[in-house]
Amino acid sequence: MSATTWGWLVLAFPLAGTILLPLGFKFWPGRLPGWIGSLTILLSFGASLGALFNIMGEHPEQRSHYDTLWTYASTAKFNAGLTILVDPLSVFMCLVVTGVSFLIHVYSISYMGGDRGYTRFFTYLNYFVFSMLLLVLGGNIVILIIGWAFVGAASYLLISFWYRRRTATAAGMKAFVINVIGDVGLVIAAFLLWNKTGALDWAGIFSGAKDAFSSNDGTLIAACLFLTMGAFAKSAQVPLHTWLPDAMEGPTPVSALIHAATMVTAGVYLVARTHPLYELAPTAADITAALATFTLLYAATCALAITDFKRIIAYSTISQIGYMMLGVATFGYQFGLFLLMAHAFFKALLFMGAGSVISAMGGEQNIDRMGGFRRAMPFTYITFTIGALALAGLPIFAGWLAKDGILGWTFHRGGWYIALGLVGYLTALLTAFYSFRMVFRVFFGEPVREAQLLEGGELVHGEHRNPLSGEEEDTDVGFPGPEHHIAEREATMKVAMSLLAVLSLAGGIVLIPGVTEWLQAFLEPTFSDSGFVGSHVPTGSEWLGLGVGAVAAAAGIAAAWFAYRARPGMTLELRDRFGRVHAFFFNRWYFDELFDVIFVRPTLAVARFFQRVIEPGVVQGVLVGGATGVVRLSTNFARSIQSGYLRAYAGLLVTGLFGLVLYFLIQSS
Amino acid sequence: MHLTIPLFIPLAAGIVGLLLPRGLARWASLAGTLAVLGYSVAMIVDFDSATRGLQWVTNETWIDTLGIHYKLGVDGLNLFLILATAFLWVIATLYAAVREWDRPRLFYFNLGLAETAVLGAFLAQDLALFVVFFDLMLVPFYFLIGAWGRGNRVYATTKFVIYTLSGSLLMLAGAVALGVLSTPEGGQISFQLSDLTVHPVGHGTQVWIFLLFAAAFLIKAPAFPLHGWVPETYRATPIPVLILLSGILSKVGMYAFLRIVIPIMPGASATLQELMLVIAVVSILYGSVLAFSQDDARLVVAYSSIAQLGFILLGIFALDPKSAQGSVIQMLNHAVVVAGLFVIIGVIAARARESESLERLGGMALRAPVLAGLFLIVALATLAMPGSPNFVGEILILFGTFDEKFVYGLVASVGVVLAAVYMIRLYQRTMHNRAGPDVASSDLSYRLDLPALAPVALVLIALGLYPQFVLHRTEASTTPKIVRAAIKAGSDPGPQHAEATTVKGATP
Repeated sequence: MSATTWGWLVLAFPLAGTILLPLGFKFWPGRLPGWIGSLTILLSFGASLGALFNIMGEHPEQRSHYDTLWTYASTAKFNAGLTILVDPLSVFMCLVVTGVSFLIHVYSISYMGGDRGYTRFFTYLNYFVFSMLLLVLGGNIVILIIGWAFVGAASYLLISFWYRRRTATAAGMKAFVINVIGDVGLVIAAFLLWNKTGALDWAGIFSGAKDAFSSNDGTLIAACLFLTMGAFAKSAQVPLHTWLPDAMEGPTPVSALIHAATMVTAGVYLVARTHPLYELAPTAADITAALATFTLLYAATCALAITDFKRIIAYSTISQIGYMMLGVATFGYQFGLFLLMAHAFFKALLFMGAGSVISAMGGEQNIDRMGGFRRAMPFTYITFTIGALALAGLPIFAGWLAKDGILGWTFHRGGWYIALGLVGYLTALLTAFYSFRMVFRVFFGEPVREAQLLEGGELVHGEHRNPLSGEEEDTDVGFPGPEHHIAEREATMKVAMSLLAVLSLAGGIVLIPGVTEWLQAFLEPTFSDSGFVGSHVPTGSEWLGLGVGAVAAAAGIAAAWFAYRARPGMTLELRDRFGRVHAFFFNRWYFDELFDVIFVRPTLAVARFFQRVIEPGVVQGVLVGGATGVVRLSTNFARSIQSGYLRAYAGLLVTGLFGLVLYFLIQSS
Repeated sequence: MHLTIPLFIPLAAGIVGLLLPRGLARWASLAGTLAVLGYSVAMIVDFDSATRGLQWVTNETWIDTLGIHYKLGVDGLNLFLILATAFLWVIATLYAAVREWDRPRLFYFNLGLAETAVLGAFLAQDLALFVVFFDLMLVPFYFLIGAWGRGNRVYATTKFVIYTLSGSLLMLAGAVALGVLSTPEGGQISFQLSDLTVHPVGHGTQVWIFLLFAAAFLIKAPAFPLHGWVPETYRATPIPVLILLSGILSKVGMYAFLRIVIPIMPGASATLQELMLVIAVVSILYGSVLAFSQDDARLVVAYSSIAQLGFILLGIFALDPKSAQGSVIQMLNHAVVVAGLFVIIGVIAARARESESLERLGGMALRAPVLAGLFLIVALATLAMPGSPNFVGEILILFGTFDEKFVYGLVASVGVVLAAVYMIRLYQRTMHNRAGPDVASSDLSYRLDLPALAPVALVLIALGLYPQFVLHRTEASTTPKIVRAAIKAGSDPGPQHAEATTVKGATP
């Protein structure tokens, strides 16, 4: 089979699941939908492997294959087919997406077991994976935009999965709208590129751009910044990030799948895919890199202060994607994509661990109320700690090789990129600190009541009350509380978490500087047109970068140990002394409040103005004869001819026609 | 193919229904609409998409002295509007047929008369004939809303009729003037569109005649600020009639811009392009903003239609082949989604003690998962999510507008975001959140609801997968309609669009 046939198969299996699962929603027994949903993703993973072996058997320069199923929309020089592109980058993305998604599906088989929306959940999950694969396989920008919007819709559906919670529907709305803002950015970018290159498919855009644009052409910079806008909306980068923390309203596997491992990295994929454009417009790339650097620092400071377990991990995701963006926007593609893969492993693992703990807490997510779960949940404790070590970037873990590879690359690029790299190292310290803040606060210390009970073999039941809004939970549709599935008791959760722990530990093997550079070699054909792919970082400076990163990580972990274990109370003192700073971080730098003031409120005010002034005043009033307007006119009119309005109407028409005829008679004579 | 047959089938079915026993009128009417649908599908199969001109032309002299011809014809421009008309009449009749109506024979007769009038307006290739059908449309709708409506229906119908009638009379004056003034010295007066296109009237005359036509079509659309009749009329109109009013009647004016106004008055179209674009953009923003601040579910859809028609108007008056194509497919798409939305509102109201207030609805997805699923498809298509057919329309409209008038395109893009707000809000306030006080939900009824709703969802999915099916057939006819106006607009560039001097789409 050809590579593109494998590519279509990759798409076909999850699509089949999406269609099949809801059709039988009334009669699927037990956990069958979960197994079907997982199987389709496993088959899709198999097809991705098929594509991998297929293109590996070809000459490196011929590993890029387009295939069109049919013409999607073609009119007046706008030409888009239903086309996929199978090349090393898309195969890499397919493998990461299907591989991690499969494990998350397996985890969900038990974790969501017993939820009322079990079939619905796996339908959405399959739909999401299909959309994500469409996004990465799309052979032209139109198909990319379709996949892009589909993942947004899937994300919306999963965030508001427990749709009777007002907090969940509000979060879904927020995520959807911000994603649409990103879609619009992509459409504008697509136009700017199409207008000058006449193409919508990737190869045509890239080759056309080289002819149409000189370096740093203004239009191209604008196009790239609109692409960045799309990428930032999807990847939750400042200032389009505010939806991601709220998206934690969705079930925990969703947080792992969409809001950590796959969807949010789509922006990184987009920048990597369109790298020839960014390399032609380095100013746009620099702006992207600077914003990404700000984001990674910003999100880490938030993660230091907030106390919601899942939201800490969410901010950590924003921060880590900032690193990836920094990597690809400074043209260190292999490193950015390497972190994308490693992050998928350890972040999915962290969310799964968090989900397990939150289940043990009966739905409670505040880490202030947690503690001492080490003995009650040994499996969760060990795997979570592995994930935390990978996130912190301790040597030999995948996160270390990937993240510090990016930072080493910024040093190699030199100039002002060094400043970005230094911010990255500072943040690496903070990252290690907040990672182990979670570990120490949740698993160490005095066991809380829930932990003690669990040691005695009893799972607590939480209160049926939404901690965010105080509203009584709806038991018909469900909510995070009543599902009590902890990794210690569920085989499928254990399997998924174990595999991810192994991958977090050993996944870094694909790119060890100077030793194994498999990932780099594999991706090279996609980036062969890049001016930077040839300039390998000298192994020495790479190892230097990794060394500094290791020190930063170790220092961060040590600081966390000191703050939470050696001198417990110290963080409280700090918080009291720097109350303002803490409040600033804790309130996420007031971004939500800012946007509320500058966007939401004015829009609502305009709506009220239209509704109360323009609509009755201008539309109903002024337009038809001032204050007496059509309203009074028509009522009077109706009253005066109660006998039947049609007669008047017919009369008018007849009079009109009569006049008309008269006119022509006069004319023609 | 003989176009008189589908044109008068619905009326004939209505008359047959009048003669049948009360209970059978609905089936006669349904059979009529299905026959028209079958005929229009056959037309699409038989259609030669390479031909630019009219196909299956019927041309008889009707009133010789006045030069009025009974001339019908189909090209890519109206092919799918006829399909949309046929399809929506089937949906509306299906929806109506499983419910009970007072005086059913008259009800179905009016539905049939309305379909004939609308088909006539779409098929007419003679301006006078178009005017006749355009005005004829008003009569059955007057009765359908006035006699079978709800609430304050007398007030609503009066307002509706006065508004649209004043528009019609303006257009009538414009049409007569056009026919007379374009008659060559010593020649025979003719209202055939082909003749009117060949003999353009002077520029100054074009401008005021254009304004007369535009007033009529924008009232019908409706577009800001001529939508004053919308709130009351939409509230009063029964659901099956509302499907047609909002889905099809709104398109007649838009279609007439492309069929009549722009080809016959290219100079005025170019001169007044900016005015129309401003109306379009303001309609988009104004309609969207009001759509997300309404409590009445119908009015959400009503104001959203103003915004969507703003997009269609934008695409037409960008005077660009891409955006014109986008507008043509968007007319079809919007007709389909509006039909779906109003059927859904009817279905929801039936499960909520006839309440259509968002404050009193909510949480229906639990007991009605099939309804929630179908609603989701329709809602996402309405907000033009990529992958839906509406996205293809919208992206073509935006591309064309960016190409000709970049700033208008940017402002219109804001409407894309606002559409997400009002549609998701409508979806959540009905399907999600807590069950409202009026909600006693149960799932779709296979007899009452699914026959009308399932075809809508299927058509949306099919069009979303293969929009080229439409674009391919409309292309040859759409582009020539705007070429002359586009050249005129380009040859007289305003200060802010110097790049338009290179005429886009001047190729035939």
